[in-house]
Amino acid sequence: MKVSISWLKELVDLNCSLEELVKLIPLRIIGIKEVTNRFMELDMKGYNRADLLSMRGIAYEVSAITDSKMLFKEPQEAEFAWNKQDLPSGKVEVQNSNLAPFYTITKIAGLKVQKSPEDWVRKLEESGMRSVDNVTDITNLIMLEYGQPLHAFDARAVKDEHIVVRTTKAGERITTLDGKTRDLEKTDLLIADPLNALGIAGVMGGKDSEVNETTTTILLEAAIFDPVNIKKTTTRLSLPSEASKRFQHGLTKKRLLQALNAAIKMYEKLGGKVTAITMMGDFEDEIRKITLTRKKLEDLVGVKFEDKQVEEYPQKLGFTLASPSQTRRAWAVTVPYWRLDVNIEEDVIEEVARMYGYEKIPAEPVSESAPLQKEDPIFQKISDLRGKLVDLGLTEVQTYSFYSTAILDTLSANKEKLVKVANPISAETEYLRENLWPNLVEVVGKNIRKGYKDIGIFEIGKAFKIEPDGNPSESYRLSIALMNGTDNPLAKLYQIAQTLASHSSSGNVVASELFHPKRQIGNLAEVHLRVLNKLGIEKRVAVLEMEIS
Amino acid sequence: MEEKLKKIQQDYLNRIGSSKTLKDLDEIFIGLFGKNGEVDTLSKQFKDIPKEELKTVGPLFNQIKQKLEKGIRVKREELREEIYQALENETLDTRSGEIKKRTGHIHPVTQFENEIIRLFNKLGFVRADAPQIDTDYNNFEVLNIPENHPARDLQDTLYISGKQQVTNDKLLLRTHTSNSQIRALSQNKPPIRLMNIGRCFRYENVDARHEHTFEQFEIVYVDKRVSMTHLQFLSEYFLKSVFGKDTKARLRPKYYPFVEPGTGVDSLCIFCKGKGCKVCGGIGWLEIGGAGMIHPQVLRNGGIDPDKYSGIAWGFGPERMVMLKYGIKDIRLFNSGDLEFLQKL
Repeated sequence: MKVSISWLKELVDLNCSLEELVKLIPLRIIGIKEVTNRFMELDMKGYNRADLLSMRGIAYEVSAITDSKMLFKEPQEAEFAWNKQDLPSGKVEVQNSNLAPFYTITKIAGLKVQKSPEDWVRKLEESGMRSVDNVTDITNLIMLEYGQPLHAFDARAVKDEHIVVRTTKAGERITTLDGKTRDLEKTDLLIADPLNALGIAGVMGGKDSEVNETTTTILLEAAIFDPVNIKKTTTRLSLPSEASKRFQHGLTKKRLLQALNAAIKMYEKLGGKVTAITMMGDFEDEIRKITLTRKKLEDLVGVKFEDKQVEEYPQKLGFTLASPSQTRRAWAVTVPYWRLDVNIEEDVIEEVARMYGYEKIPAEPVSESAPLQKEDPIFQKISDLRGKLVDLGLTEVQTYSFYSTAILDTLSANKEKLVKVANPISAETEYLRENLWPNLVEVVGKNIRKGYKDIGIFEIGKAFKIEPDGNPSESYRLSIALMNGTDNPLAKLYQIAQTLASHSSSGNVVASELFHPKRQIGNLAEVHLRVLNKLGIEKRVAVLEMEIS
Repeated sequence: MEEKLKKIQQDYLNRIGSSKTLKDLDEIFIGLFGKNGEVDTLSKQFKDIPKEELKTVGPLFNQIKQKLEKGIRVKREELREEIYQALENETLDTRSGEIKKRTGHIHPVTQFENEIIRLFNKLGFVRADAPQIDTDYNNFEVLNIPENHPARDLQDTLYISGKQQVTNDKLLLRTHTSNSQIRALSQNKPPIRLMNIGRCFRYENVDARHEHTFEQFEIVYVDKRVSMTHLQFLSEYFLKSVFGKDTKARLRPKYYPFVEPGTGVDSLCIFCKGKGCKVCGGIGWLEIGGAGMIHPQVLRNGGIDPDKYSGIAWGFGPERMVMLKYGIKDIRLFNSGDLEFLQKL
């Protein structure tokens, strides 16, 4: 989320310098990715804070952590445009109310599409968006301020001005705003008229119903869609957008109505007039009440709090707290409607702790102790092996857990037997290694080309294979590769292997045309020259491979 | 010119045909295609040839070049085949003298991990194993990361191809060592002090700072009244021993679905000691790990009553720490097998 600094200052009477704020936000709220004098970008990746996807949500947080005054008030319901006048409803039909639990369409006439004023363009740019035209920009400005996406359809493109919210019909396709024609699946939710699809709900509008320079009447959509369904469609079509992000994180009806009201006001200022409004669904947001106990708070944070702290910190963030008793052992906490991420007592505890300041929590030693659990014995075996090999003068390497394409070609590997990645990054990460030694031979080749004449390396790591039942399995392996410039590196490797004899359990080097026809013994072999030559190696290389168990 | 070309062709074809060793062929190759070789010298003479003649000479020249190249290639394969055949005459001979004295080297990441293991061994933490191929359930679902959770965006996953298609059974390459958590919790009774170290995988395009294959270190600590004060202690304990006594640890809010409260762990910047520099982006602190109080649902999933016990999950990426400690600029070096790099540290 890119936060325009000038816009933030319109919402909060900032009590501290910008530098102080930029230092404090990561300590109290969330990391900051980038700061310039025009905007700061919050590091939202992977986060669950839907409220931080709106300027108003951010303003609440900033006000709480800096004790700054808010410069706006949430409107009362009586002030909403549709409560002050009698408006007819339009034709709206929601066929899948589980996928669109709250859906509104507002018809606004008398508009003239023009360039947006400079102030709007700046706000959009500082928020990482581009200005399109005044009618479209209002939808984005409102989304940025309230977190509620809006979509404007050109009323002329909607047959009979009749909106149908439904899932996809077999074989249906749509051309989205970006001009691409998209195949749809039956679970995708569409906004349509009685004949055609107009847009993919929450993801992207359609080309044909886009606002253009001749638009005068719009059907303005403000809705809540099922986050999981939106996420699925967005991922499948690779169409992430500012709007779909917000639908996925979750929305509230209360904020939706505020956003719609604010949008109507902006359109009215452009000369627009609301001529119809339709709202489908249940208006009430779920109110979450949580019991906060002093015991759990102090057990988890490890700090003794004063009553005042426990009560004031969440209150600053919009929570209400009531304690039934004088002793203040527990509080009934009501979560502000915009904090969809707060659901359990531990979530409230985090609110108290971060307002207190994580960085102020003192350290309390974890006592030294004898092991409480038994260590898996394989780790000691691995350590011992590694120690011995290094003492013998070998260098430990680590290679990828995959077979490179060069190795796959060289081994003429039977790919059926290899564990396969369903969605590889490239052909180099498509198959998991069945043995470690081919990767070591590849490493030997690389280092010969860098001028090394004597190479003794080993790797301890996992190898993967398909079991007869079809399931993949993995095991710890040791592999050694030796290239000492002689025509018989196996002799030396044999000696090295002798010192490890107690560890070798089973031989993994099996008779195969990948190895020297004569020089194979137990889990040791000289790699066949044909294999080496294919990997660009002219020297002899001997390898060992064994399972560690 | 034409004559000259034909003569070169014949001479070299004869020489290729009669060569006995790969070395002979290499010499012929250099004589032809090397710097100041026949091809080089001839092409320099082209500018003096009349245009008309060039029309026939040019194509002929290319034809001969290709013919000779192919000749060498075919002969090389022939000679190689002979060498491969001769392998049958070699024997298995495992007699040899003393093992050559070399200086061995432990991989820098292993070396660092060994230090950390010793450090946490002192507090009674021991290693537990966890598979690298795991179920979607163990890697995600049980840790409060259902499908379509925003946190999955952070962990682009490599899935294993196969017959398992049901969500929970879908197999993947673990994206973090946290797949050890459910095992640590469900297979042990509190108090628990375990650590897991090992390879993890993510769908990531590789560059100097990103790897699809990387290590993670993670501890699971469960006992009565374990709190964030212990988290602060563990962070300091670790950072002071890695970066020195004057290092500080700082916790700040960070969201991970399997902990609540969740924390990021910062180290006072080891380069500027908090003044702000290029490495820390002027902040004075470096982000080094993630941690938090184990989420009550995760504890319950592991059969532990969150009203009786609390726990810490705490981890970091060893490669990044090694890079900071030794000033290594390219994460790809760790899996490169580059001996110059591996034997230097």
